[in-house]
Amino acid sequence: MKQSIASRGLYIVSRLGIVLSMAMMFFPGINPANINALINRNISLFTSGVAYNTLISGSERAIDRGWVSGSSYMMLFFASMVVCIGIGLTGVYGCLSVGNMKCKKRGNIFGVIGGITQLLGLGGIYLSYLMMSNPQNDVQRLSPAIPDGLYFFVIIAVLIFLSSMIQIFMLKDVPVEEKYEIELKYRIFMMFLPFAALLFVFSYLPLWGWRAAFYDYQSGIPMSADNFVGLKWFRFLFNDPGTQRDIVRVMRNTLAMSALGISTSWVAMAFAIFLVEMRNIKFRRIVQTFTTIPNFISWVMVYAIAFAIFSTDGFINSFMSAMGWLSGPGTNYLMGDGNIWLKMLAWGMWKGLGWSAIIYIASISGIDPQLYEAATVDGAGRFQKMIHVTLPGLMSTFFVLLLLGIAGILNNGLEQYMVFENPSNTNPITVLDLYVYQRGIENGLIPISTLIGMLKSLISVTLLFVANQASRWLRGGESII
Amino acid sequence: MFKRKTKAERDFDKAEQKHEHQRRYKTTVGDVIFHTLNYTVFGLFTLMCAFPFYYIFINTISENTLVSRNMINFYPQGLHINNYIALLELNEVGRAIFITTARAVIGTLVMVIASSFIGYLMTKDEMWMKKFWYRFTVVTMYFNAGLIAWFLNMMMLGLTNNFMAYIIPGLVAPFNIILVKTYIESIPIELEESAHIDGAGLLTIFTKIIWPLSKPILATIAIFGAVGHWNSFVDSLILMNNAPDLHTLQHRLFVYLTRSNNLAALMQSGTSSAAAAAALAGVTNTKVINFTISMLTILPILVVYPIMQKHFVKGIMLGAVKG
Repeated sequence: MKQSIASRGLYIVSRLGIVLSMAMMFFPGINPANINALINRNISLFTSGVAYNTLISGSERAIDRGWVSGSSYMMLFFASMVVCIGIGLTGVYGCLSVGNMKCKKRGNIFGVIGGITQLLGLGGIYLSYLMMSNPQNDVQRLSPAIPDGLYFFVIIAVLIFLSSMIQIFMLKDVPVEEKYEIELKYRIFMMFLPFAALLFVFSYLPLWGWRAAFYDYQSGIPMSADNFVGLKWFRFLFNDPGTQRDIVRVMRNTLAMSALGISTSWVAMAFAIFLVEMRNIKFRRIVQTFTTIPNFISWVMVYAIAFAIFSTDGFINSFMSAMGWLSGPGTNYLMGDGNIWLKMLAWGMWKGLGWSAIIYIASISGIDPQLYEAATVDGAGRFQKMIHVTLPGLMSTFFVLLLLGIAGILNNGLEQYMVFENPSNTNPITVLDLYVYQRGIENGLIPISTLIGMLKSLISVTLLFVANQASRWLRGGESII
Repeated sequence: MFKRKTKAERDFDKAEQKHEHQRRYKTTVGDVIFHTLNYTVFGLFTLMCAFPFYYIFINTISENTLVSRNMINFYPQGLHINNYIALLELNEVGRAIFITTARAVIGTLVMVIASSFIGYLMTKDEMWMKKFWYRFTVVTMYFNAGLIAWFLNMMMLGLTNNFMAYIIPGLVAPFNIILVKTYIESIPIELEESAHIDGAGLLTIFTKIIWPLSKPILATIAIFGAVGHWNSFVDSLILMNNAPDLHTLQHRLFVYLTRSNNLAALMQSGTSSAAAAAALAGVTNTKVINFTISMLTILPILVVYPIMQKHFVKGIMLGAVKG
């Protein structure tokens, strides 16, 4: 049963339409429910149809004062929901369209219903637009307008509706006893599809947020041609003396702390090498157990521990006063900016050393014992065996971790520095991640912090790529990622 | 052909072996020094890792007046558990514990189901454009758009001040998918094939055969997931600004700690104002509260830790293989 070319073409058109409308459901720029000036411009159709509170978040005052009736918003909410459902139904149509003839026939019905549902929803949105532009309302404040998104979705819905309608008449009848069947490869793919959508929404869609770096973004005001500023923030970043000073300082902190971390990464290897020298298995197990625990507590809890030990009322001070070495109030060792880089390194080690050693311990147990025996026979001592047998066995693991460390030189992470930061040490402790957080979330300077985050991501990816290439080069084609 | 050694020869061999053994394992002065140093250094580091937990714990169960006078250093005095009871009755904390537990349980459950299912699908070479989709999934581990872009995205999706923000984004966890995929690939394919011949579909094979067989790896990712949920705090801090009801325990702890540390800073700067005096009164009392919340936050980790220990070496090694 071969498909005709016309039918095939129609399917391609409608599948494209479905994918497009499904993606557009998540883009705020093209939200058809955005029918007046009070509605938050940064919400997508999906949000409008799912979260009523978010939809009316900008209009509560207007509803309270009677500028507009709440029912038109209810209408809008339900209409958006119906559109979303319609898009979902067309999705079913799209999925069934890759099956056999029987599936296709059933799918077309879904396509027709989905198209109609979508159109009904869009009609509802139009209706609520009419309700809002009722002269009884404060039209001046609301300034209702039909967004481009509405036309866009109407066109797609009509397209899908028509194509599935035509298909219904075009496809030949199939015998009743034929079973629904979709080829295995598509069936597996369709099981994965919802998760691919989730991945897209949470891992790829944030890239869309990068455009904030090119706008005069302020929360609640839409990004549009009016506040498009092009490369203004790039120029700002490189020309503004204050920002420049900040960046230099922050980069110095970031690179210094990363460099400290990388240059001490051999300590974990040494930890493992010396740990396996211990003959007392019980003691070894105790050491391993207790040194790994800190890895599993969060940085907040590490800070809680730092607080318990080093604050004014902490262990150090109370121990010293109990010994009579201290009179008067103690010192709060968490305050002040002395040696912050080294302190952060020390906390990082306290938390991570035991854990990072595990992979080396596992590698050591994988080294052929015959090598050690041979070395012993040749008269090698303990340290000679470490240097000539153990170390070479661990080198490749070490090398991979080192390369990954270098690739992640800008990613110190946020939490550690955030919890240890306070007014007295903010200068030397602020790393790039923390700086982005302070600027963007605390000060609300979204564009500049988006820009910094964007540049950071791009540089990190480039570094990772280079490190991977270097690894291939040096280790004969073995990649690290 | 078979030559048997005489008794004398055997005795000689034995003596030789003994000598060899002594030569090999003779304890020299260098050995003694080495081992002493080695045990001391590791012992000290272990103590550094373990003592803080012990110190916090004994302070939470000791007489509060002694605690606020900094008298409890090495052993508890005047045992009681009133601090814990009082804290659990405190609405804010009880709510935070509830939220954190809920997200850990629900989040872990859906993550394990989703990620193991994807991991299973990824072992199927028949899948349409499998290579592409596998890369599509794995690449997200190495690349992210940055904190602010992520925040804008979550805002756009309406996931601010919303409990779902804790659950949905973590559903598809690429690293766990790799772990499960690698594990499932080690299960003999014949099992699946025979089930297929018996007429089982993909889903049946997954739930009836793959799922029970991959219990060890599922336990591993579940424990890691739960710990991750329990520990995460940046999402609560950034996304839940207007919903204090949804703050996690870590977030609460952070707020308490920074608050009292700022008070401490105020005190230290020595301003003899009324505010500083009030703060001083506050600090001595907050010590017990801070310690108790810290302990409540750490305790679950310490409880699941022994179970975890069995699993994580396996996990880390599998991760190093990365199919």
